[in-house]
Amino acid sequence: MPSESDKLLVQEIRQGDTEAWQRLIDRYEGRLLAFARRRLSDRSQAEDIVQETFVGFLNSLPNYDQERDLQTYLFTIAAHKLTDYLRKLGRHPLQHIPDGQEFFEGKTDHRPRVSSMARSRERVVLEESALTEALESILTGWRDQNDYVRIKVMELLMVAGWSNKDVADHLNIKDQQVANIRFAAVRKITEMIQEAGLPADIFPGLQQDPVAEGTHE
Amino acid sequence: MATSITIEDLHGYLDEALSDEMSSKVEKALRESVPLRAALARLMDERERGEHSMGAIWRRQRLTCPSREDLGNLVMGILDDAHAEYIQFHIKTIGCGYCQSNLIDLQERNKETKNHTTQRRQKMFASSAGFLPKRK
Repeated sequence: MPSESDKLLVQEIRQGDTEAWQRLIDRYEGRLLAFARRRLSDRSQAEDIVQETFVGFLNSLPNYDQERDLQTYLFTIAAHKLTDYLRKLGRHPLQHIPDGQEFFEGKTDHRPRVSSMARSRERVVLEESALTEALESILTGWRDQNDYVRIKVMELLMVAGWSNKDVADHLNIKDQQVANIRFAAVRKITEMIQEAGLPADIFPGLQQDPVAEGTHE
Repeated sequence: MATSITIEDLHGYLDEALSDEMSSKVEKALRESVPLRAALARLMDERERGEHSMGAIWRRQRLTCPSREDLGNLVMGILDDAHAEYIQFHIKTIGCGYCQSNLIDLQERNKETKNHTTQRRQKMFASSAGFLPKRK
């Protein structure tokens, strides 16, 4: 969720307020520069990426949904600018993006490959939104209890893609504990997805491990 | 600890969402492994078709990214141990490029001379302000 301060800033920028634009640059330039420098050792190249990110943001402003987190939006623009730049240098495998294509200056802030998608973009966005809501609900509960073990287990399984055994070894807990945490979380997420009227099998990460069935907490 | 490249690492790589260390690791593995390059090509096709990855959604929505305030508190060393340890895990083990960038920015803000930063930001402003909407 965007902060009230970011929302106000964007409203002022939409009115053409140059001081607000300077404030946005002051707020976000440093982290965007660090983001670009992860991948570019040449500082001036990284600064060019950040500059293009800001210009891309202004060009996409009429289509920017103010309910979307501003920082995440800026990082996403920067990631696309970076990918495009690295591809031109021959350092990135994304070869199918036409030269100079602007990701964020059209009607949408998602990658414009809709025509080639087997499922509609609207459908994909709806599914992603349902999953995000389910995950946020579970994570909020764990955060409120300071339950970092469960968060780490699910993050290693889902985000890093590790096996149950690798997760258990890394966190120094039992394999069965990992399996149980996964089982309970997947069951809850599946229920929430289904309650939203969607089939859970569209998410490959929601396939239950049969070993854990019947042993969950 | 997992040392091989996972499908979720490839998703993170394609989204430019990994830390510098993780990005380099994936890039090196891609250069050296034909099967991994084939896996990447398959993955790109799947993404093109709109197939989901929970990990990619999780990263994209930044579901477990700490707030900027929490990162600032980490830099100042005033977070409780469990929370600080979790943030380090998120940045180092999960390899979150967004949070790594935020952390570097916060650390550099303490070091960089104000004059140099202001100059650079004025340059950014001058090169982009022409794209602002006309004042109403």
